[in-house]
Amino acid sequence: MEQNNSELHRQIIHFYRVTKHFGGVYALCDLSFDILKNDFVFITGPSGAGKSTLIKLLYLGERMSDGYAIVDGINLSRISRQQIPMLRRRIGVIFQDFKLIANRTVFQNVALVMEVAGFKSRSLIRERVGDLLELVGLSHQADAYPPTLSGGEKQRAAVARAMVGKPKIILADEPTASLDPAASERVLQLLRAAHARGATIIITTHDRDLLSRFDARAIYLEGGRRVDAAGGEAG
Amino acid sequence: MIGVFRRALGDFIRHRFFHGVCLFTIVLAVFIVSAFALFFINAGDLMAAWQRGVRITAYLEADIEKEQARAAAEAIKQYEGVDTVSYVPREEGFAWLKDQLGPHSSLLSDLKGNPLPDALEISIIRELEDGEVLDRLAEKITGRPEVADVEYARKWLHRFYGIYNLFRITAFVMAGLVFVAIMFIVANTMRLILYSRREEIEITRIIGADEEFIKYPLYLEAAMLGLLGGLGGTGLLYAGYLAVMPKFSSGGLLQFFQVRFIPPELTVFIIISSMLVGWLGCYFTIRRFLRI
Repeated sequence: MEQNNSELHRQIIHFYRVTKHFGGVYALCDLSFDILKNDFVFITGPSGAGKSTLIKLLYLGERMSDGYAIVDGINLSRISRQQIPMLRRRIGVIFQDFKLIANRTVFQNVALVMEVAGFKSRSLIRERVGDLLELVGLSHQADAYPPTLSGGEKQRAAVARAMVGKPKIILADEPTASLDPAASERVLQLLRAAHARGATIIITTHDRDLLSRFDARAIYLEGGRRVDAAGGEAG
Repeated sequence: MIGVFRRALGDFIRHRFFHGVCLFTIVLAVFIVSAFALFFINAGDLMAAWQRGVRITAYLEADIEKEQARAAAEAIKQYEGVDTVSYVPREEGFAWLKDQLGPHSSLLSDLKGNPLPDALEISIIRELEDGEVLDRLAEKITGRPEVADVEYARKWLHRFYGIYNLFRITAFVMAGLVFVAIMFIVANTMRLILYSRREEIEITRIIGADEEFIKYPLYLEAAMLGLLGGLGGTGLLYAGYLAVMPKFSSGGLLQFFQVRFIPPELTVFIIISSMLVGWLGCYFTIRRFLRI
């Protein structure tokens, strides 16, 4: 019981029988799992398994159709519109297609997170964004616009943006899918660094080789359901 | 607030093409409204100047003594709408007629005596805006026992007042329509701007922006567009007025009439209205676009 309480205390994400359907098409079905604080978790499965939908449910890009989910103490099925931004500020999201704002510089893209969070001090923003850009190796590209960057640089900028708000959770939706091996490795190193700083990391990938390189927990999805590593129903 | 202003200014510069298009259309629309205002104000002035010349002539009965005529003049002066009343003795009237006929005054030499009666020249106050008020005044004057007949340009005046009122109504309707047009222009341009920025807005939301963070700079941008459009439109008209007026006043029809620019208070009203209308256009678009 003591162990259970301790585990509950460490839990940052709790999904219980979560279902998401679009009309008659089920993207996720009866999905249950728990993720603890500072976990490093892969969500894996083939294309169409529901990985991206799961990420969207976590940052409330989509609302679940049924079930019960708690993220950092917030019940996702009861969250009000006004509370959504507060939850999103605790989560950093990295996308396969980077989702950087094209007409803002790398610095401005990263700094926007701090502006959104209500940071007023320009010097603090400059300092923290500068440090992050140095960490991801993009100091020299701070004034560059995203369309002028390589894929790897764009993704590193996206990682910096995800990390700058010091979020408790970082969601990365296929972060290495469009990158070459060297750029992928660099992005994964940065995610490891964020994990080392205490963040919970959730990465979706269909690349099983990537999993084999990490000693990390994996949740397997297939057809919107959780399965075991061999492909059997996991409940 | 400074942050919102800074972001609005930044967005304004970043999306300068769409903002430029929107600004150009607002400047044009405000220019049209201001030009209408300029035209109607001066047309009104011109009509008022004509109106100042409107007179009622009351011809007196033949047996009326001078003293009675002067007393009637005093009484009529108290009537509502009457500005001045002057007594014109028949001799003076005859001399004036002769003078008006000029080289043809010999036509009067065959007359046996002076056929004109004594008369009262009644000028009306310039604020008298309704032909029917003038009719009632003429009727009241006709009703006096000293007065034999009353003459005034009834038909012409009715037409004049009709045109004048039509002018005023048209001015209001046109101004209203153009402002509604501005609102649609801003609303549609803002929709284009929002459409071109939908990904940016979506990303901003994902990183935790609340509706206020997204809305306020947009409202400010729209108000800035309205303000700049208002200043630009009225400024353009003023530049045109300064450039064109010297040519008009140097000769022709307008040399006896001073064309004036729209009064400062109306200029300020147009600029503020443009700003409000810009904001309103943005407000409705944002409400629909962001589904707030």
